[in-house]
Amino acid sequence: MALLKVKFDQKKRVKLAQGLWLMNWFSVLAGIIIFSLGLFLKIELRKRSDVMNNSESHFVPNSLIGMGVLSCVFNSLAGKICYDALDPAKYARWKPWLKPYLAICVLFNIILFLVALCCFLLRGSLENTLGQGLKNGMKYYRDTDTPGRCFMKKTIDMLQIEFKCCGNNGFRDWFEIQWISNRYLDFSSKEVKDRIKSNVDGRYLVDGVPFSCCNPSSPRPCIQYQITNNSAHYSYDHQTEELNLWVRGCRAALLSYYSSLMNSMGVVTLLIWLFEVTITIGLRYLQTSLDGVSNPEESESDSEGWLLEKSVPETWKAFLESVKKLGKGNQVEAEGADAGQAPEAG
Amino acid sequence: MAPVLPLVLPLQPRIRLAQGLWLLSWLLALAGGVILLCSGHLLVQLRHLGTFLAPSCQFPVLPQAALAAGAVALGTGLVGVGASRASLNAALYPPWRGVLGPLLVAGTAGGGGLLVVALGLALALPGSLDEALEEGLVTALAHYKDTEVPGHCQAKRLVDELQLRYHCCGRHGYKDWFGVQWVSSRYLDPGDRDVADRIQSNVEGLYLTDGVPFSCCNPHSPRPCLQNRLSDSYAHPLFDPRQPNQNLWAQGCHEVLLEHLQDLAGTLGSMLAVTFLLQALVLLGLRYLQTALEGLGGVIDAGGETQGYLFPSGLKDMLKTAWLQGGVACRPAPEEAPPAEAPPKEDLSEA
Repeated sequence: MALLKVKFDQKKRVKLAQGLWLMNWFSVLAGIIIFSLGLFLKIELRKRSDVMNNSESHFVPNSLIGMGVLSCVFNSLAGKICYDALDPAKYARWKPWLKPYLAICVLFNIILFLVALCCFLLRGSLENTLGQGLKNGMKYYRDTDTPGRCFMKKTIDMLQIEFKCCGNNGFRDWFEIQWISNRYLDFSSKEVKDRIKSNVDGRYLVDGVPFSCCNPSSPRPCIQYQITNNSAHYSYDHQTEELNLWVRGCRAALLSYYSSLMNSMGVVTLLIWLFEVTITIGLRYLQTSLDGVSNPEESESDSEGWLLEKSVPETWKAFLESVKKLGKGNQVEAEGADAGQAPEAG
Repeated sequence: MAPVLPLVLPLQPRIRLAQGLWLLSWLLALAGGVILLCSGHLLVQLRHLGTFLAPSCQFPVLPQAALAAGAVALGTGLVGVGASRASLNAALYPPWRGVLGPLLVAGTAGGGGLLVVALGLALALPGSLDEALEEGLVTALAHYKDTEVPGHCQAKRLVDELQLRYHCCGRHGYKDWFGVQWVSSRYLDPGDRDVADRIQSNVEGLYLTDGVPFSCCNPHSPRPCLQNRLSDSYAHPLFDPRQPNQNLWAQGCHEVLLEHLQDLAGTLGSMLAVTFLLQALVLLGLRYLQTALEGLGGVIDAGGETQGYLFPSGLKDMLKTAWLQGGVACRPAPEEAPPAEAPPKEDLSEA
């Protein structure tokens, strides 16, 4: 009892082949879209690899790029097959290759689905890399004289301005590190000497933040220094002041940016996966209906198309049998070889 | 009554003309689309930068005119594609016969007119940008502190975002901020001696400082941004006010915005010039094709030679014909004699 049998006459077969040919070319376009999505994500990750410790995982964009290329190749091949399917002479060339090709298509669809799932699930690793990378970035903020780290100040400033964020989890992260280089500190000033002495590590810590944390929407000019000191500024209460600095931490901001990017890519990939599954099913019906045309001369006759020749449990049993036979076949050959050698030795 | 600029068109050149016209029409449609995109982009930019242009500035008219011209060019291109395609196929041509004449007139008058107007604007308007930007920026900087005055409360945010995005400070340099009170009086402590001194020493009672807003800061600078006491050599270690300031953005917003808008207008202008050329070629080609096929009586497949021309007779004769036809139309109920006179006269003038 075949699975999901459908009757096909000549007209229906022709329509199916033409429809599949068109769908395959759209699918090549979809493959190009997946390729460009992967490329875009890779470039975005590369752009900010400075704040991710250069250790971020490029698994998702690389697999999207690979899937895009594979999809283009498979679908243009399938388009060619559908084009030739209506000509019995040309189809006879493709006939022996179709069954393994369909098996590869099924495998490709399974991998595409897994890649789409990965787009949704891999944000956890990104969070860790971002946390580490930002912490280090802020530590090196003042090292504008050290070769290899001199760009870190510019990177962090531009990041905070672009993503409207401040610090790792919030602006108080800046209070815990020395972000002003010793080169620009006036060591003859009493205030500087006091601060350095009062700190165990001899660092110059202030309750101030860099200018890039300032929020342009604030009604008053930005308060960057002595943030927790209410008496240092007129009509100022740091507990209730919300508009002065960006409140979001850069880790949360970057994470939400990359998450939304990967989520939308995952949705697009899932839609394209559904399209590919439809194409594979259509191709299977085309193959079985064309095989059902028993006599090559009577290409006008009706035939039946199906998904599986027997029902699912029977097909699974037959598959296991063929695997066992393969194993037994090797065994028989080995015994034959031994038997052959034994008489020779004997 | 010789036709103006006649051209003999046997079958093969006619086919070549139609094919070349098809290609040119697609190019024209593409150029029209590009103009639509460019002028849309300029309109969006002007919406963001509108506060920094004086309200009397006429510059926004340019992208609007270019938008209209681009739409007409796109339409002309598509008409050209359809007509040249139809002229190669006998079954498709008849519906085009009646429509092509009026379409050509509309294309020349409307499309050509719009393009010329838009080109003229593209050449003339950027000159007025200088004054408009100056006036707009002076107003914006003056209202920076008015974050609680209705109508100007967005000025601070807009100026900050302008300086952050376009990497500029002040109008022509950072010292412009020294002449403007950019700290709102609401946040000035009246009991502070320094504040009181500054306000009293100023004729207009403004609180002026030698400091700049945070948005002037340059992230490329190796030291944390110095915003205050920029004229004081002893205020900050290793800082000399007489040296060029690397802490802040060096360019003034006036120069940056002027260059940006002039570049956009220049691109739009060159696109308009190219489209004008393409449109002229397409309209000419369509006219020749139309008159050549009219000479065949609308039968496409005939292999005979025909003549294509721009106008059936010289300008004076055309005006005379038009005048006579207008006279016939205006005359009351036709009597025997006058209509008999008019048609022979017309035949005479056309022969």
